[in-house]
Amino acid sequence: MQLIAHIILREWKRILRLPVFYLVMLVIPGLLFSFYALIYEKKDAKHLAFAIWDDDKSAISRQLIFLLEQRETLQITRSVSSEAEVKDLIQKGEILGAVHFPVNMQKDIFSRHKTNVTLYTNAASLVPAKLVYKAVAEVIITGSSGAVLKKLVKTGMKPDRAMALANPIKLNSYQLYNSNYNYQEYLVPGLITVGMQMILIISSMLALNYEWKTNTMQELFELSNGSALLVITGKTIAHLVVSWFNFFLIAFVIFPFFGIGVWEATAKFFLMYTLLSLACLGIGMFISALFKDVMLSGDVALFYTSPAFVFSGFTFPRWAMPWYDQYYATIMPYTPFLDAFFKVYYMNLPMRYAQADIYKLLLFCIVMFPTALILFQRQFNTSKNEQEVQAVAN
Amino acid sequence: MSKKSRPSLIKLFLREASLVAKDHSLLLTLLIAPLLYAFFYGSIYINKEEENVKLAVVDDDQSRLSRLLQQNIDNSPMVELIHFPNLEAAKEYMYQGDCQGYFYIPKGTQTNLLSLKQSNVVLAVNAARFLPSSDLLASVQQICLTIGAGVRLQYFEKTEGLSTAMAMQNVMPINLDYRPLFNERSSYGAFLLPALLALILQQTLLIGLSESVAGERQHGTFKEWLGGGVSTAIWGKGLFYLFVFGAYGFFFLNVNFKLLDLPMRGSGFQLGVLLFVLLLTLIPMAQFIGSLFKSQLLCLQIMAFSTYPIFLITGYTWPFESLPLVVQWMSMLLPTTPFIKVYTAIVQSGASLASMMGPMLHLLLLWLFYSSICYMRFRKLRFS
Repeated sequence: MQLIAHIILREWKRILRLPVFYLVMLVIPGLLFSFYALIYEKKDAKHLAFAIWDDDKSAISRQLIFLLEQRETLQITRSVSSEAEVKDLIQKGEILGAVHFPVNMQKDIFSRHKTNVTLYTNAASLVPAKLVYKAVAEVIITGSSGAVLKKLVKTGMKPDRAMALANPIKLNSYQLYNSNYNYQEYLVPGLITVGMQMILIISSMLALNYEWKTNTMQELFELSNGSALLVITGKTIAHLVVSWFNFFLIAFVIFPFFGIGVWEATAKFFLMYTLLSLACLGIGMFISALFKDVMLSGDVALFYTSPAFVFSGFTFPRWAMPWYDQYYATIMPYTPFLDAFFKVYYMNLPMRYAQADIYKLLLFCIVMFPTALILFQRQFNTSKNEQEVQAVAN
Repeated sequence: MSKKSRPSLIKLFLREASLVAKDHSLLLTLLIAPLLYAFFYGSIYINKEEENVKLAVVDDDQSRLSRLLQQNIDNSPMVELIHFPNLEAAKEYMYQGDCQGYFYIPKGTQTNLLSLKQSNVVLAVNAARFLPSSDLLASVQQICLTIGAGVRLQYFEKTEGLSTAMAMQNVMPINLDYRPLFNERSSYGAFLLPALLALILQQTLLIGLSESVAGERQHGTFKEWLGGGVSTAIWGKGLFYLFVFGAYGFFFLNVNFKLLDLPMRGSGFQLGVLLFVLLLTLIPMAQFIGSLFKSQLLCLQIMAFSTYPIFLITGYTWPFESLPLVVQWMSMLLPTTPFIKVYTAIVQSGASLASMMGPMLHLLLLWLFYSSICYMRFRKLRFS
């Protein structure tokens, strides 16, 4: 135990002294995670530039324009007069959408003729396009239902019956766990945790092999009596404690400061975070034990970790990916973590819902740590020869 | 001097080529990563959009209307219904992460409708995941409106004795004709892929070139490299990257775009000009960043964290105007921001460079800016 304590202390000193560790483990998390939260500070996209093309200029079109103006999502910035103008303004990025009220719209409605209101959006910018569609569709549906309602009431139908016929099947929709589609609540915890996975692997991939670079492998060998088990245990604990420090930063500083996160689920988040940390540390140690060359180790770690966010299914669901990408997603610890994170954190469900994902994360630990141990013990045994250590270091 | 600088540009180009060939890390980052990433990331969105999002359904009405509702929802390519006997079982299925929400048809839905009372149905979606939940919501909402219109149609036909054509005009007095421009199916893949390919090109160039410059400092060859003059050094080294990444750009536009079935609506030549200006801007930017590091490894580690923040603040995935002001300023300093505006306009909507003069000028100003700060930084390092 005393030996492990020495290795832990020694590793903490290295983390605080060497830029490849302290910059990645202690400086980047605070800066990067705060920046992510800052990007989505406004929580949702509002006041999207929008144009009106009113060929009707009637009381109804004015009424609909008034209703559109009340929508927070839209900001009517232009009045246009042709489809070519709409396309040109969208191309230039000056507007994100436009609505066209055709000539005789009011007359058609009153004379029981169907009328078409056209909505244009720039679907090459998908997020604003969807928001614009939602806002305009709600206004047009309301307007259409209102017109039906008026007609029915005019025929002498009772208002409640007319209402029922104007909208016979009322869909009561509930957006659970993020009722306002708040982007900060949705994206920031995901970006932060995927960032943590990267930080953990990119720093721990140097935990063992960087000893060659700093000419300290012999010293480590003597300190641990040549036991790779003690070294990996000590270094893992040291890195895990630093990752807990980052958890504190995330859950108790960044989340409260930006007003995000599910406070009641913090303990479950901590448990899942610790499992993710251990799985990542196992992978990092494995890479570090496999490659003596730190640059190669860095390239492998970068290649492995950088696609985690898109492959995990956070923004685009895994079931919509081709089968081979779905398989690739399973070899990254972030994937089971994310599945569990959705359940126990975003949805605040009991831990039992994350059982399968917990097993998957444990599997990473069970496979990676012993493999790293075997590989490193072999390296350690050869490092007995001081000359060989010097040769590799030079 | 000018007579000397011409051969040294070529010499430096060849020097860089030999440096990359010997450095396996640079070789991986510059020659393998761009191609591998382009195919690898690209394949995720090859289907462009999600389909068959699972939705649990509980039908307590067991009527003709409830069956019609379910049949219509199930026929939508977006939704796949899974039937449950009660709400608890449906919720449990959602909690397990096996479906993205539940749809409930309460008892009396059809009876209410027949007695001209409004029928209420319930859709609860798991909005913790944005894309599936919003797609479910849009599909089910549309189906309920369509069936509602069908109910009105029947009413007008039967009660008021209108012909089908006349009744149709009464059903939905204002019809919304939705025209999503430049991505007609509003698909996620068609939206993301063009930008993703450009980002892969940019990031591998930034990481590789900055690593190369950091390597010059680490290996003590920095002053030797600058021997022929600062500008020559910047553009001699940069020429290699201009050539390699120009070729990648050409490859992506001709091979990856075809493989992924992405439309290219604008002029290939104009896009080539745009890409050329982007590479010219990225080259001094990457060299400036690389010069801040004395260790190649540290440069790689730090640059690895630049990809997501850069992408998130360019205004592509999140509207530029919705970013906080300070982030907008930072975004304006990135060549990606004006580039992506022009690139999207050319690729997705067939715009011309002439119609995008504002962002083009912005990009050219950034080229001047990064060339100047890189030049000043290298001069300082040369004489230190």
